[in-house]
Amino acid sequence: MRQTRLIALAAAFATVAAAMTFAHHIVHGQSQPPTTIYNPYPTGILPSNITPELARVLREVNTIEAEAIVQWHAIPPPVVTGNPPTLQNTGVALTEILGKLMNFDRTISPFNNYACASCHMPYAAYSGPIPQVNLTMIAYPGSVHFRANKRTAQRYTYASYFPPLQYDAVQGLFFGGNFWDSRATGYLLRSPDAEQAQGPPVDPGEMGNPDTACITYKLSLAPYRPLFEQVWGAGSFDITWPANTAQICATPNGASVFNGNPTPVALSPGDRILSNNDYDHWAQSLNAFEHSESVSPFTSKFDAFLAGTYTMTANEAAGYALFNGRGNCNSCHLDGRSTAPSPSVKHGGSGTGGKDTGTTADVTPYFTCFGSANEGLPKNPRVAFYYETTPDFFGFTPNPGGFTYTDFGLGTFLRSGFGSAPNPNSSWRQFASTVDGQMQVMTARNVALTPPSCPTTEAPGPYFQKEFFHNGYIKSLKQLVHFYNTRDLYRNAVESGNCPAGTTEKVNCWPEPEVPQNIDMTTGNLGLTDVEEDQIVAFLQTLSDGFTTPYPDINTYTGACMTGGTAATQGNSTIIPADLLRQFQQMQR
Amino acid sequence: MNGLPIRKFLLSPTILFIAVLISLTICAAHLSHAQLVPPAPAAASVHITEGPAIESDKDGLAIIRWTTNNPGGSAEHFGVVHYGTDAAQLNQTAKNHIQLNQSHPETVFRVRVDGLKPGTTYYYTVGSMGGTGKVDPVKSEVYHFTTP
Repeated sequence: MRQTRLIALAAAFATVAAAMTFAHHIVHGQSQPPTTIYNPYPTGILPSNITPELARVLREVNTIEAEAIVQWHAIPPPVVTGNPPTLQNTGVALTEILGKLMNFDRTISPFNNYACASCHMPYAAYSGPIPQVNLTMIAYPGSVHFRANKRTAQRYTYASYFPPLQYDAVQGLFFGGNFWDSRATGYLLRSPDAEQAQGPPVDPGEMGNPDTACITYKLSLAPYRPLFEQVWGAGSFDITWPANTAQICATPNGASVFNGNPTPVALSPGDRILSNNDYDHWAQSLNAFEHSESVSPFTSKFDAFLAGTYTMTANEAAGYALFNGRGNCNSCHLDGRSTAPSPSVKHGGSGTGGKDTGTTADVTPYFTCFGSANEGLPKNPRVAFYYETTPDFFGFTPNPGGFTYTDFGLGTFLRSGFGSAPNPNSSWRQFASTVDGQMQVMTARNVALTPPSCPTTEAPGPYFQKEFFHNGYIKSLKQLVHFYNTRDLYRNAVESGNCPAGTTEKVNCWPEPEVPQNIDMTTGNLGLTDVEEDQIVAFLQTLSDGFTTPYPDINTYTGACMTGGTAATQGNSTIIPADLLRQFQQMQR
Repeated sequence: MNGLPIRKFLLSPTILFIAVLISLTICAAHLSHAQLVPPAPAAASVHITEGPAIESDKDGLAIIRWTTNNPGGSAEHFGVVHYGTDAAQLNQTAKNHIQLNQSHPETVFRVRVDGLKPGTTYYYTVGSMGGTGKVDPVKSEVYHFTTP
């Protein structure tokens, strides 16, 4: 009995403590971020202008959100007819604009400071919008400043075309899914792109809601709630919300007060089902937006070339020939040209093929095989995640392992490992060791897309600093092509920041791969000249949308461009020297 | 058939039903993989047109490179090296992914052989296989190299 009283007393204390914690940042129903900034980083990891840059992006987000509201109200109401009932005439437009409104809605986050678009802005092909973040900490700060995850923000463009993750028994390879590690499988919604949209809202390092019901709750308060109900049905939000819902939803995921509970909003079973359905509709609406011509429009120079309305320059044409030829880029970044010719008789086959006939088999090629590969990227010590070994204000420690963390990509996901998500198919688990280090083969489309005010990714510019591959180690397209061309020619058994004297990292020294298993050796020593590398870059630049029709919202960038230097060494000033890196590592021991 | 004319038999409801079923099955199978590139026809024979050679050898890691006619089959392929310090016992294996380019007449295979001891002679053969282990019909002689 006495023990029971003690437990009750302890529970009461815990409740009061939790309430005090909530009260710390709930002011009249408005969530406020904690005054204590999470900054476990050594000097130089965070960009010096991170705060004004985050504010700049939020202003741009607000601008586009306001525009989307106007666009929504300009759409005529649909005629609901047919069986099954269909929003005749404007159902597509309404669903797409609903997704756009969601994408640019900062109020979905616990502190009203983080929209999906915070990491995915149109002028970067819906990838990372802050040049200095792309240059330094790689992953974007979440709603809790400055928690951050470990990988670059992937472009939305054409992500919706990836099929559900599947193991192809003929190829012996996984295809499909979304995210670098394919953990958004599409197993339920049959759209990896939609399921991708369900990750960041509850990821502690991103938007960071503690419960998916919080997204439903905030949607029910959104100005576009009538649109949601118009598209997905009246009664979508007929949910009885517990009195403490606002408080819970203003506390970020990972907070110790939740004790690991993924559903702290105490809904009835019926309301939980309704909320889950709404969260699926959130995902499907965002998928509609990402699949729309606002995001994935096939309006590049290359599309015009396929349509016969654009003639490539000599450099672009030479780059295209290399992309298909010695560069071998199109073995994974499928360009839709040529079918599958059998090996010629001369080479032991029975067909007359073996040559690229130039026949266009696909008029809207995706420039990806939807597969995954380990390209042997070096570990990037710039990734903020390696430094997040201490708890933040809420008691959450993003990465207890610090530098010992290794990003095995798809392999970690198949094991349902730390930093990924539960694998919904146990039969895939057996393949984990064969895919360690593999990351999704992203489409090459829009790899070069930048704001018109900073019209290139390449130094000396004026340029918009992007980041490439999953860990942002590569900072320019020149470096990207050079990496494929010389990874093995200039390989060194060193870590980043420790290249031998007389060499220059990323120019004639490539540090060892983070994951040496399962490396794809299709590239790595292609024998391309410096000029040929530049020609492939010129071809990649033909894949940017907006040539035949202006890319929507591309002119919303209000930040500055970078200038100076060379594309070959772009960003090298931010490489952490080996001795300094060792100090950082020793501090964690 | 009991004398049923062949045309009448082919147009019979049972046969038409089976034909529709088969067609639907084939369509469904193709649709489920509609996004993927189907494997190219396998080459009748595969032969080495260049190499094998040691592309690089330092820090205990050698890269062995050779070229064959395009073996066809699954786009996902592996270069495979069997190696050892005794020419009669090539009891170690290294393999790496290679993505076949179906529009290329030839394929370059490159394999990383790791964990090599310095100043040691290694013997090896090379070969290749599809993504699920189907071995290409190619054989190489036994070659050797000595690590620095």
